[in-house]
Amino acid sequence: MNSRSPILQLRKLTKTFGSFTAVKEINLDITEGEFFTIVGPSGSGKTTLLRMLTGMESATSGDILLRGARINDLPANKRPTCMVFQSLALFPHRTVGQNIEFSLKIKNVAPDVRKARALQLMAQLRLPQDYYGKSVTKCSGGERQRVALARALAYDPDILFFDEPLSAIDYKLRKTLEKELKDIHRETGKTFIYITHSLEEAMVMSDRIGVMRAGQLVQVGSPQQIYSAPETKFVSEFIGDVNVMAVTAKGSSIVHAAEFGVDIASPAVPAGFTAGHLVVRPESLRFIENRSGAENCLEGRLYNEYVLGSRIQYQVRVHDHVFIVEKLRQQAFAGQRDDNVLIGWDAKDSILVTD
Amino acid sequence: MNSLAPRWRTSLIWAWTAAVVIFMYLPGLCLLLASMTSSRYFIFPITKWGFAWWEKTFASLEIHQLFQTSLLIAFCVTVIAVTIALFGALAFARYDWKGRSIYQKIVLLPIFFPQSVLGLSLLLWFNALGLTMSWQTAVFAHLVWIVPVCTLVISIQVYSFDPALEEAAFDLGATKWQVFREVTLPVLFPGIFSGALFAFLLSWGNFPLSLYTTGADTTIPEYLYAKMVAGYTPGVPVLGTVSTVGAAGLLLVGYAIIVMLRRRRAASDQSEV
Ligand SMILES: Nc1ncnc2c1ncn2[C@@H]1O[C@H](COP(=O)(O)OP(=O)(O)OP(=O)(O)O)[C@@H](O)[C@H]1O
Ligand SMILES: [Mg+2]
Repeated sequence: MNSRSPILQLRKLTKTFGSFTAVKEINLDITEGEFFTIVGPSGSGKTTLLRMLTGMESATSGDILLRGARINDLPANKRPTCMVFQSLALFPHRTVGQNIEFSLKIKNVAPDVRKARALQLMAQLRLPQDYYGKSVTKCSGGERQRVALARALAYDPDILFFDEPLSAIDYKLRKTLEKELKDIHRETGKTFIYITHSLEEAMVMSDRIGVMRAGQLVQVGSPQQIYSAPETKFVSEFIGDVNVMAVTAKGSSIVHAAEFGVDIASPAVPAGFTAGHLVVRPESLRFIENRSGAENCLEGRLYNEYVLGSRIQYQVRVHDHVFIVEKLRQQAFAGQRDDNVLIGWDAKDSILVTD
Repeated sequence: MNSLAPRWRTSLIWAWTAAVVIFMYLPGLCLLLASMTSSRYFIFPITKWGFAWWEKTFASLEIHQLFQTSLLIAFCVTVIAVTIALFGALAFARYDWKGRSIYQKIVLLPIFFPQSVLGLSLLLWFNALGLTMSWQTAVFAHLVWIVPVCTLVISIQVYSFDPALEEAAFDLGATKWQVFREVTLPVLFPGIFSGALFAFLLSWGNFPLSLYTTGADTTIPEYLYAKMVAGYTPGVPVLGTVSTVGAAGLLLVGYAIIVMLRRRRAASDQSEV
């Protein structure tokens, strides 16, 4: 990030469809040059939010400020923003070159200037130069992705929006394209606002992540913050497999887990916290020999194990609750299925969250 | 699957297909044969072959006039029907609005009206309005029946149109009109083209609506009918053959163009998967 000034500011931005509120009072500042990712489950309002920012959907209330100026009433074709669609929306009757040049043609840029710019973008996005005259319908999925990005970049927008452009692409290619996208972000210095279902994707690419739930932005922070300091059970669970225990406050850093009938040493209990959840990541749980091996300890039965590439995941049943313990393959646990085991963790490795 | 079918089944399919084709095209062949006689009347088998009636027909000023009228009507119908049907189809298939489902039914209903009744009621209407029947009223009459067909044909293309294409173009700075000209129109073109073909051919061959509404003007189907009723010459099958073969030729060329367009598109559907 080269400068710290906000390029886009959302103030109480709301969208309702009839009596249904799809986006609810969102406040957010996006910094110039930032890679901001919005994650959230299906139907949480991500697309609706993005469509309001591009101008394809009108806001019901609230403000959208671009460099301080209110742009709510500016139509999409007048906004210096551009969106890459999930379907890519490439023009099927046009060649790769014509697709990329579309916005330049609209601006009446001379054909040779257009072509030079298209070829330059193609080079930047690692599209072979002889694809210029190729029908866009004959390109592969990854190539089409790059054409869509080139077409958006040719418009030279201040902000690029992406609505899950990689969701229909297989894992390996997706990883490559994620990296390329991050590189392009770096090279162009433009502001990217990206939507995805996948927190993994968000973690890889983003400067900051905003988590949406039922039309609201429930937490905004760096990938590190979202990962290590989720504020709610919802956010912590969204990140991946976690162990969550319902707890009530009992002391300044002690909570009670009624389900297991035990008191648990926890991080400092915030003022006003009465009941919530304690989150422990699978890699923070460990198998211990005896109860003094960790600050907190539960006894359970080894129930199942899964090999996940370089890691192994163990499921441990404590009463009716299944805990997940994750270990590196080299440190595989020697226990057998149905063994009684002790699992433990330290207070500093757990997180207190609200509902 | 086909190779697994027993021989007798394949033969049966062939026999059936041949029977259907003969059933449908034999009358057409008779028409051609009937035109190639040099005698005044149609006697089978033909005793004196010749193209005399072809020459006479092509030289006839009256026939030229018929062609002009038929072409003029078909051309006007095509242009107007496609324009109305395109926007009708967008309303039909693309946009969701209150009353759409009723509109979808009402707009298609005229297809199922008996055309002779439709023609008669239009005649009554035109009379009530004090209009003189001419090729212009015939254009209107044809439109009543052809616009629904054309709407249906274009709707099929509109249903497969991804609205995100328009949004993407708009987002890239195009005005509404540029979006329509640069994206909507070309992407829908195969459907519009089919619609135009339908409109032209249905108007070209229409008899019942023309009969009531052309007034003093005469189209080819009307002339053919009138001559059959009174004053048959082998010029009738000549004109019939020319008219039919012309239509078939147009259809084939049009079909080839559509296949070509579709093939270009087909590649896109594959790579999207
Ligand atoms: N035009 C509309 N009319 C009525 N309801 C709508 C409209 N567009 C979206 N919604 C509703 O708003 C909610 C949010 O939709 P949105 O598409 O923004 O979700 P999303 O987070 O993008 O989901 P996904 O991850 O599945 O794409 C959904 O419940 C959806 O049904
Ligand atoms: Mg969405």
